[in-house]
Amino acid sequence: MTDAALRQPQLSRSPIARSERTARLDGNPWTPYLFAAPVVLYLLLFQGYPLLRELMLSFTQTSLLTPQTSHFVGMRNYAELAARPDFWRVIGVTALYTAICVVLAIALGLGAALLLDRPFRGRGIARALVTIPWAAPPVAVATVFAWMLNAQYGIFNHWLKLLDLEIGYESWLDNPRLALPAILFTTIWQIFPFSSVVLLAALQGVSEEVREAAQIDGADKLSIFKVAVWPTIRPTVALLVLFVTIWSLRRFDLIWVMTQGGPIGATKTLVIELYTRAFVARELGEAAAVGMVGLSIALVVTVVYFWATQRAERAEGRR
Amino acid sequence: MRSPTSQAIRMALILILLSVSVFPIYWMVVTSLTSSANLFADTPQLLPDPAQAFNYADTFSHTGVLVWLRNSAIVAIGTMVLSILLAILPAYALSRFRFRGKGALGFLLFATQMLPEAMLVVPLYAIFANLALLDTLGGLILANTAFTVPVITWILKGAIDGVPMEIEEAARVDGCSRIGIVLQVVVPVVAPTLAAASVIAFFHGWNEYVFAQTLVSSQDLRTASVGLASFVGELSTPIHTVMAIGVMYTLPAVLFYLMVQRYVVAGMTAGSVKG
Amino acid sequence: MASIKLNHVAKHFGTKVAISDVDLDVTDGEFLVLLGPSGCGKSTLLRMLAGLETVSSGEIHLGDRRVDQLPPSARDMAFVFQSYALYPHMSVRRNIAFPLIMRQFKWWFHIPLIGGWAKRRIERSPEVADLVEKTAKTLSLTEMLDRYPRTLSGGQRQRVALGRAMVRKPEVFLMDEPLSNLDAKLRTAMRAEITRLHQRVGGTFVYVTHDQVEAMTMGTRIALMRDGVVQQFGTPREIYTSPANTYVARFIGTPPMNLIEGSIDAGMIKFGEATLALPQALAAAGRSTGRAPVLLGIRPNALTLAAPGGQGQLAGTVSLVEHVGAESVVAVKLSHAATAHDEEGAVAGEIMITTQGYSELKPGDPVSVVPDLSEAVLFSRSTGEQLRAGLALAA
Repeated sequence: MTDAALRQPQLSRSPIARSERTARLDGNPWTPYLFAAPVVLYLLLFQGYPLLRELMLSFTQTSLLTPQTSHFVGMRNYAELAARPDFWRVIGVTALYTAICVVLAIALGLGAALLLDRPFRGRGIARALVTIPWAAPPVAVATVFAWMLNAQYGIFNHWLKLLDLEIGYESWLDNPRLALPAILFTTIWQIFPFSSVVLLAALQGVSEEVREAAQIDGADKLSIFKVAVWPTIRPTVALLVLFVTIWSLRRFDLIWVMTQGGPIGATKTLVIELYTRAFVARELGEAAAVGMVGLSIALVVTVVYFWATQRAERAEGRR
Repeated sequence: MRSPTSQAIRMALILILLSVSVFPIYWMVVTSLTSSANLFADTPQLLPDPAQAFNYADTFSHTGVLVWLRNSAIVAIGTMVLSILLAILPAYALSRFRFRGKGALGFLLFATQMLPEAMLVVPLYAIFANLALLDTLGGLILANTAFTVPVITWILKGAIDGVPMEIEEAARVDGCSRIGIVLQVVVPVVAPTLAAASVIAFFHGWNEYVFAQTLVSSQDLRTASVGLASFVGELSTPIHTVMAIGVMYTLPAVLFYLMVQRYVVAGMTAGSVKG
Repeated sequence: MASIKLNHVAKHFGTKVAISDVDLDVTDGEFLVLLGPSGCGKSTLLRMLAGLETVSSGEIHLGDRRVDQLPPSARDMAFVFQSYALYPHMSVRRNIAFPLIMRQFKWWFHIPLIGGWAKRRIERSPEVADLVEKTAKTLSLTEMLDRYPRTLSGGQRQRVALGRAMVRKPEVFLMDEPLSNLDAKLRTAMRAEITRLHQRVGGTFVYVTHDQVEAMTMGTRIALMRDGVVQQFGTPREIYTSPANTYVARFIGTPPMNLIEGSIDAGMIKFGEATLALPQALAAAGRSTGRAPVLLGIRPNALTLAAPGGQGQLAGTVSLVEHVGAESVVAVKLSHAATAHDEEGAVAGEIMITTQGYSELKPGDPVSVVPDLSEAVLFSRSTGEQLRAGLALAA
């Protein structure tokens, strides 16, 4: 279904022609609204309304202990955030965490997808096994990685000792320099299978003939990839960049369980900061302001994505 | 035209890839089956020791793991059922109709992907307090579904796009109503994708942590994610007990996933690749 | 020198034999057509020539070079794919220039920006730019040079694919069913265009098709394949007038050659009750079989219809009449003779006759069929091979 849909020329299955056809089935113009109404109401109640409350909360000073009494303070929460150096550090950690997640999760996913694309004996099993990390619950992943990274008894340090590296018995999660790399390692282990699975599907669309044409034209392996494979999977990679970015900005459980943002803020991303502000510092207004900043970043990324994809499509004469 | 060396390198890379993917899960199992003495030995024990299976019996009796797993299952199944029920009709509408506001609906669905659970948890806490949903598994189901329903809708829309119009027209000629068409014709045709979407929703509910941690306070309503996380950084529980809980929480999910992964992958990529 | 020589070339996929023991000798400047039904191995053979498939055994020579172990790019052969295989993100200009750019490619072209600049420089260098312009002009693509493949029609894409092949000035052009994705009208036009291209640019062409009309009109020689075995290798005329076996006889021609069962006795051929005198050449060919049953192969246009009951005629009844404008095709069920047919199944006992103009015959009308044996051939009933006078002497 996927492949067929991907390869279909857009004209033959124009959604407009199809919608007009289905509209002829019955004349009631309200049917689509009736169909969409429950989910719209649901999302407005459990996402839209809380979001609005959160937005309003960000303009107030409200304590978790006395949420009924909140004072309107205008933009003060935002101004204070901007003035605090540790908040800029949070932004920095978030940016670094997100950027490295995007690059490595997609690069490794692509590498794995390319390895598993061509037939070999046991490919089906290999494809299934490689997606295991993605199926494991994040809290369980965090728990076992914390154990494997344990300073004294963890298997990582044991291996490092076997390799005779001087850095043996490093306490990965307690060292401000090593905690973020350790968290990144865990995150990428968990999410790269997702990009790999999606890219494997996209690789189905690569034309074998274009690959061979490049081969005959004398292209080397990297050139073949660039002219035959990359143009086909590029839209998928762009979509993955969007999703991995948004999910990295949102990720809470893995980081929280492993380090709670520590040590001394080394792994404190926006979401961790938001949660800490709300439930440790008990400042709901400030927490909400942090959330709004995070949301704005996600919005900007999304807008840039749609702008860039449309520009790329125009450049290739698809529109 | 591939040389044997490049083939060998490729197979070696695949083996490394698979080992890295599987090892942490394996290590969880090994640790759960390691004796207390060996846990802190200089050379770690690399193979599971079946004689330590009583660890699991101890874990059952000393922790609330069975209750936690039951709660997780309730939340996961509830999230799955509610998500599917809510998603079918809007997915059909997005696939088949052209109507004013369709773009807005698409945006609304996508926008939910940007919202962190941790951000909504504070206002949801207040709303749930008013609706008497605090400290209930039902509340967790409602909160989780808000995050799964957009994904499920999108995946189902992708599948319905692939259903030929003629099937519906035939049903229409045979005198089927619109709802009848959706339920009796479209749903059975997209059943494999529906199954995949169900699995995805189930996993979301099974894995969820923030809401379960914040919106529920009773000990006997804890989910497995919260229960397991409560041991991290706590020193009195031996690590093989923690890992035994980890195994009981992870292995059913992974095994279930391996059984259905074919469908999940197909269903997921149908929605996401097309974007 | 672009002669191609295949020596005992074979290809196995596991235990499955895709190509068995093919020997072909193609001279420089020839237009060889590999013809056959789908799955006969013709595309595999072409891909082995190109180097896209390995050779399981045997040798391929291009001129005096042995090429079967060389990578595709070292063989100096261009390949035109069925789906055109254009690079979708490159303009037509870059698509055509691509093989030339690859010729001057250095590893550091992979460095972003610098590589792009270097490639543009090559593309704009006089020798490459001129060649691209000239090729585009030959194929009337000048106006489309800066467009992307996505915006072109099927015929235009096809011409870009040809341009990409031509620009390298290769010794050999390999084409894998290049016209099969075009509609019927365009196909006829492109057929002529490719033939003209062959005459103008020279070089050896190897062209794969399942369409006998393409094969007959374009090829200087045809290798007709079935199940990985070359059935006959010859000029279109040889293949049409003197098919090597019943399979070739039935594959070429619309409607195909009729195969009528008979037996030979003293220079005469008997079909049931009818007896006809064989021309000298056929009589000589038939002598070898003794009294073993034979198949008379005769084209539908070498048969005429007459009123029933003459000497040297085959009696039958009309079973179907098809009017095709200038001529009519009449199917006749013979009363006393059986006919052979290929696995695709013409109805047993029927033969096809083409007559000029509009036939007034109706199904059920009794007729008699007068064969003109001057261009007929004989096949062995048991082996299906053509019986030839020379072979008879040898036997």
